[in-house]
Amino acid sequence: MAVVDRGASGQGSSFSVIVNDERYRSIFYQIIVFAAVMWAGWYLFTNTSENLEARGMSAGFDFLGSTAGFSIAFSIIPYEAGDSYLWVYLVGITNTLLLSFLAIVATTLLGFFIGILRLSKNWMVAQLASWYVEILRNTPLLLQILFWYLAVFAILPRPKQSLDVLGLEIFQLNNRGFYFPAPVPGELFWLTMVTLLISVIVAYGIAVWAKKRQNATGERFPAFWTAVGIIIGVPLLVFLATGSPLQWDIPLLKGFNFTGGSSVPPAFLAVFIALVIYHACFIAEMVRAGILSVSHGQTEASYSLGLKPGLTLRLVIIPQAMRAIVPPLISNWMNVVKNSSLAIAVGFPDLVAVFMQTSLNQSGHAIEIVAMVMFFYMTVSLTISGALNYYNKLVQLKER
Amino acid sequence: MTNLDASSSEVIFQPKPSLPPPPNTVGAIGWIRKNLFSSPLNAFLTILSLYVIWVVVSNTFEWAIVNAVWEANSRRECLDKVGLSGACWAGVSHWMKNFIYGRYPDEEVWRINLGFGTLILWMLPFWLPRVTSKIAIGASAILISPFLLGYLFAGGEKGLFLQVMVSVAITSFVFCWAHTVSSMVTGKSLWASIVQASGFAAKPEATQKYPVFAAFLVVFAVAFTWQSSWNITSQSTNLWGGLFVTLVISGIGIAVSLPAGIVLALGRRSKMPVIRVFCVSFIELFRSVPLITVLFMAVTMVPLFLPEAINPVKIVQAIIAVCIFSSAYMAETVRGGLQAIPKGQYEAAQALGLNYWKMMTLIVMPQALKLMIPNIVGSFIGLLKDTTLVSIVGLYDLLLMLKAVSQNPQWNGIHTEPLVFGASLYFVLCFIMSKYSQHLERTLGAGQVRK
Repeated sequence: MAVVDRGASGQGSSFSVIVNDERYRSIFYQIIVFAAVMWAGWYLFTNTSENLEARGMSAGFDFLGSTAGFSIAFSIIPYEAGDSYLWVYLVGITNTLLLSFLAIVATTLLGFFIGILRLSKNWMVAQLASWYVEILRNTPLLLQILFWYLAVFAILPRPKQSLDVLGLEIFQLNNRGFYFPAPVPGELFWLTMVTLLISVIVAYGIAVWAKKRQNATGERFPAFWTAVGIIIGVPLLVFLATGSPLQWDIPLLKGFNFTGGSSVPPAFLAVFIALVIYHACFIAEMVRAGILSVSHGQTEASYSLGLKPGLTLRLVIIPQAMRAIVPPLISNWMNVVKNSSLAIAVGFPDLVAVFMQTSLNQSGHAIEIVAMVMFFYMTVSLTISGALNYYNKLVQLKER
Repeated sequence: MTNLDASSSEVIFQPKPSLPPPPNTVGAIGWIRKNLFSSPLNAFLTILSLYVIWVVVSNTFEWAIVNAVWEANSRRECLDKVGLSGACWAGVSHWMKNFIYGRYPDEEVWRINLGFGTLILWMLPFWLPRVTSKIAIGASAILISPFLLGYLFAGGEKGLFLQVMVSVAITSFVFCWAHTVSSMVTGKSLWASIVQASGFAAKPEATQKYPVFAAFLVVFAVAFTWQSSWNITSQSTNLWGGLFVTLVISGIGIAVSLPAGIVLALGRRSKMPVIRVFCVSFIELFRSVPLITVLFMAVTMVPLFLPEAINPVKIVQAIIAVCIFSSAYMAETVRGGLQAIPKGQYEAAQALGLNYWKMMTLIVMPQALKLMIPNIVGSFIGLLKDTTLVSIVGLYDLLLMLKAVSQNPQWNGIHTEPLVFGASLYFVLCFIMSKYSQHLERTLGAGQVRK
């Protein structure tokens, strides 16, 4: 009996070894998941090709070469109604990048300012800043964009009664947009630009050398002011020596509208302002959390070493706070890029508006266009997160 | 003894009671001096802030209250009375019903109220004391109530499946409340009360489930016959709108994104490479693109992906997009929580012999989710704000309803007032959510605080 029992249990265990072995089980699960995903992909693919056939459409990127018959209200690279869809894609990308870049710069400055106000020892100032943050971050961004566009910029005066911003008669604001002088470089202006480039490189070299020398000998060198002097002074000298080859094209009222200068449409301003003040709330919170994350012991240790409050802030607190601030800050920049796509709601021609809406409606190539737009945003996102990872590696706490 | 008596008669040091602090460092004056006027710069900043507050508040007050017009029949009337110096709240109150219910017919609005009322009642036991099995109550409210609510909102003919699910929903609702009342009054669960009342308490434990099943079947039968007598008209989703649609989309988004996010986060940390690759690509793809592109994708590509016969209505397409998008974000939030749990917790669970799912559900997830409450509620707030984007693909959510008012000939061009109203509504909703999450963080995290 005993022998039989052992044999039976031995049989069962060799089967149960396979069933209960984690490796076999995980392979089995993976095969099931893989098959399910493949089946879903195949199902969608066959449906799509049937539907496309029924509509008499063909998939492929050939449409990119054909002409887009619509005009675009604002573009920084030249565009006309007869250009190709590929060019429309590039116009959309440049518009999106311009809007996001300007918004990122402005929102970072405003966010740091508000974040520092929130930490102010002055109770009134801290309260004011915290209510700014609470109110604006608890309201949808799209609603804010519409508010700026419909309730503020739509009721601006006509060009004849333009608001003269700063009172210099060169910045004009009206319901057609914001007009500002455009630079017109002269013949030898390239010399100034080349000098500027060279002096930036030289200044960077000086900074590196000064740091090395301070690390080696402890002697300090006023690298910052030297760099400022070189970067501003030398190109300015070249600029004056070549006879100031730069003129400004100032917008002038001719008839019913302004001519000359450059301008951005009200939709751009609405999206820009809304993006800046909305994202500044989040940056302010990051700055506050980052500075508070540096323990008070650091400040005390720095004072006991004899550093003045200003130096303590610059050499002890800020470098450590930046380690906590920069990663969320950069992902917030990413959000600015993504949220700039809300420009579509007020008709500013960003990538989503010109390509995903207008071009898609006209050409009908939904899959290709959605893929191209997503590809652009993914590229930006991967680039930014790559830079972020590099930075993290650079500054992360180096423990023994 | 005498010695002591003698020494007590000597003059010994008696400290005088300490003086009160200078009057200008305590009380209101001291506080003001310290926090508002500690230096000339601070004094200047205080006065500047007061000026800013005064300008903002006085202008807003004048526009919104003093000069406002509360009753008018068109925007022209408002403009004739006060011009642009006062708000025309008549334009908001006139459209209030549409802001909340969209174009849902007036005589059917009770269905929406009843639906949301039921849901609130269903969730209410969560906040009542002495109620047990809160997870089961919450799960039934999230998983089963959508059938009842969906039927109430959409109406029309219902097939056998929907009839059964509606009856199940009614039954679970009744059981939830019976359980709540039972546990609040007697301190015993509904199960124990039924067993006791039916006289099965003395019988073997294995048979004790029969009276409970019997009670369930009786309630189910009553619910089934009751609901088959309902006859409510079908309301097209084109008529849905306003706050109603906003809450439906964000509610479904919240209910789907939390479990889906947990699954995706576990998949991302799984040891199985195939599952990990799928989860990582899903999460990274949808996190790196804007929601609006996902919405456009859903609207233009879902009709291409599915057979002609199944063509979901626009609100379903939008809900799919919102769910996909918010699940990807929720997955990263949950992953943050999972990573914060020390490895010792996993090892201790394994040492106790718990398998993967028991380890996750009993040890890791409760800690991770508790840790992540502020971030999870933050995602919910983000989701509520993000649902405004469905207006871009043409769904009449609250925002598009607010915007649409200005296209009415009577109210042509009225933008500011509806938008200000909508902004305050969103603000109140989001602000309450964020304050509640802070409250939860304090009560649930009480054990974590080091003193």
